[in-house]
Amino acid sequence: MTDTALEAAALGKRFRRRWALRDCTFRLPAGRVCAVVGPNGAGKSTLLALAAGLLAPEDGTVTVLGTDPASARARVGYVAQDKPLYPQLTVAETLRTGADLNPGRWDAAAAERIAAGGDLDPKARVRSLSGGQRTRVALALALAKRPELLLLDEPMADLDPLARHELMGVLMVQAAQHGTTIVMSSHVVAELEGSCDHLLLIGDGRVRLAGEIDDLLAAHTRVSGPAQGSLGDHTVVESRTTGRQLTALIRPTGPLSDDWRASMPTLEELVLAHLRNPDAPALTPTQTPSPAESGSGAASGSASGSESESEETRA
Amino acid sequence: MTTPLTGPPRAVLRLHRTALIVWGLFVTGTIAGLVWLNTVTADSARAKSARCDPLAYCADPFANTSYSAPISWISTFICYGFLAVAAWAGAALIGRELEQGTARLAWTQGVSPARWLAAKLAVPALVLTVGGIMLVVAFRWGWAANRDLMGDDWAFADVFVARGPATVAYALCALAVGTLTALLLRRALPALAVSLGAMWTLNFFLERYRESFWPTVTRTSPPEFEASRSWWPLENGAIIDGRRTQDVPYWECDGTSAENERCLDDLGITGHYTTYHPQSHYWPLHLVETGIVLTVAAVATLIAFRLLRRRTTAPAVRKGASV
Repeated sequence: MTDTALEAAALGKRFRRRWALRDCTFRLPAGRVCAVVGPNGAGKSTLLALAAGLLAPEDGTVTVLGTDPASARARVGYVAQDKPLYPQLTVAETLRTGADLNPGRWDAAAAERIAAGGDLDPKARVRSLSGGQRTRVALALALAKRPELLLLDEPMADLDPLARHELMGVLMVQAAQHGTTIVMSSHVVAELEGSCDHLLLIGDGRVRLAGEIDDLLAAHTRVSGPAQGSLGDHTVVESRTTGRQLTALIRPTGPLSDDWRASMPTLEELVLAHLRNPDAPALTPTQTPSPAESGSGAASGSASGSESESEETRA
Repeated sequence: MTTPLTGPPRAVLRLHRTALIVWGLFVTGTIAGLVWLNTVTADSARAKSARCDPLAYCADPFANTSYSAPISWISTFICYGFLAVAAWAGAALIGRELEQGTARLAWTQGVSPARWLAAKLAVPALVLTVGGIMLVVAFRWGWAANRDLMGDDWAFADVFVARGPATVAYALCALAVGTLTALLLRRALPALAVSLGAMWTLNFFLERYRESFWPTVTRTSPPEFEASRSWWPLENGAIIDGRRTQDVPYWECDGTSAENERCLDDLGITGHYTTYHPQSHYWPLHLVETGIVLTVAAVATLIAFRLLRRRTTAPAVRKGASV
C-alpha cells in the first residue's frame, strides 16, 4: 500500500466547451478523512467521478492508491450523489448483487451489519426506502467491498440530522478500524467540520486550498485594526472596511505589527473568504511552505508568532 | 433459485428476472400453441370442412381459419419478436441503468465496465439463442404439419424468417443495437424509440431486397405457363422482339384461339417469361440474410464496447492509439 491515497496532477475535464475541472493538482495522504468543499457546480462531483474511474480525464492524470483508477477499481468504494440503487430489488437482493459484482472482496457480514444498523427490513424493496435508508444501503454496498479509499459525493445531503449523525458515525468507525481513506464532498462546510482532517477547496473548477485542516487554519490569521493600517507584504485573502475598522483574512509572511488584533479563523470563515475572492492566490501543497509548527496539536500554531495575538481555540 | 451461476451473470439474471419470465412464457406458450393447433384444431377444422358440401350452403365457409389464423399470428410473433427485444435492450437493459445512474453503481463495484457490459450482453444472448432455437424448431414442425389448411408459403416475409436461424440473428442484432443506442443516448425512452426504429428499418430494407440475396431463375417459353405454387415469383411478362416486357395488354386478346393468336402476333409477343426463386433457394437466401444481420450485430457490439471504454478509461491507458 502506498502512502498516497489520491493524487491529481494538472487534472482537467471538460464537458462540451465548459471546463468542469481544470489544472487540478493535489495529493491526499492515505488514512485521512478529506473534505472536498466548494459551491454547487464547482467540480466536486467531476473530481470524484474521475477518481472512481467513471469518467476519463481530458488533461493530466489522477492516481488512485498508486495506480490508475481502472486498476484500483476493486479497492475503491464510491457512492454517487443521488445514491443510485436498483429500485426493483429488495435490500437483501441488493447486497447479494454487491457480492456478485465484487468477486473475492465482499464482506457479507459487514454489509448486513451496516444495513441492519438502520432497522432495515431485508425484504423491503429499495423503492420503498426513505432517503436515509437508501444512503445506508448505498454505504453498505461501498463499505462491504472493504475499500482502501472511499469516495462519497455529498453523502449527507437530503438526510435529517439524526440520520446524518448516525451515518457519519458508521464512516468514522470504518476509518478508525480499517484505516480507510475517506473523501467526501459537500457544499455545507459545517457538515464536515469536526470529522475531517484534510481539506480540498474547489471553486470554479480549480483547487483553491488543499492540505491538512490544522495547517491551513494555522497558515491564516484573521486580523482587525484601523482602516488606514497597512498589512505590509502579508498575503491578503480578503479585506473589508467597516467605518474606521478594517478586518481581513491574511496569510502572514512574518510577525504582525502591534496595530493588529489577530485571531484564528474558523474553517467556515476560511472557506468563505476564499470563495468570495476568486482572485486570492491558491494555497496548495506544491506552494505550501509547510509551517514548522504544524501538527503540534491544539490550535496553537499560527505561522506568525506575534505576542499580541489573541488566540481562539477551536471547539 | 439454485443456479451454479455466480458473479456478474447472476447479478444480471436477478436484475432482469421479469424479462426472463416474460420470454420464458412467450416461448413455452408459443410452442404449446403450435402443438395444440396441430393436434387438436387441425383435425376439427378439417372435419368441419369435410362436413361442408361445397355445392350446398356451407355453415362455416372459413372453417380453416380457426387453424390458419393463429398459425399466421404465431409466425408473425416469432419473426417480429426482435422488435420487442430491441425495445427492451434499449430501455430496460442499458438505457434505464444509464438514466437512473445505477450503471455508475455497477461500474464502481469490483468489475470493470467492460465486464459489466459483457455480462449484460452474454446472458440475454444465451437466453435468446436457446429460446429462439426452440421456437424455430417448433415452428418448422408446426408450420409444415398441415400445409393443406394453410394459404401461405415459404416466401411470406414472416414465415421466411421464422423457419430458420435468422430468427435468432435478428434477436441478437436487436440486443446489440438496443445496447448501442442506449449507450449513445443514455436515456431509456429515447433509446427504446431509436433502437426500435433502427431494427424496424433494418428489417424493412432486408425484407425489401431479400430476393436479390441470391441469383434468380428465369424461365421462358413461347406459350403461357402456370407458375409452380412452390416458386417465389418476382416478375413475369411477355417477350416482345426478344425483350422482356411487363405490362403488355395481352389479356385484351380474346375470342377463338385463332383470333387470340393473331392478336398476340399483332402485339409482337413471341413468348412469356417468369423470374422467380425456386424453393431450393430458401436456404441460400436465408443464410445470406442471417449473415448480414449477424454482421450488423457484431459491428454494433464492437462499437458499444469501444464507446464504453473511451468514456470510462483514462487517456493514459489508451494513449497508444490516439495522438
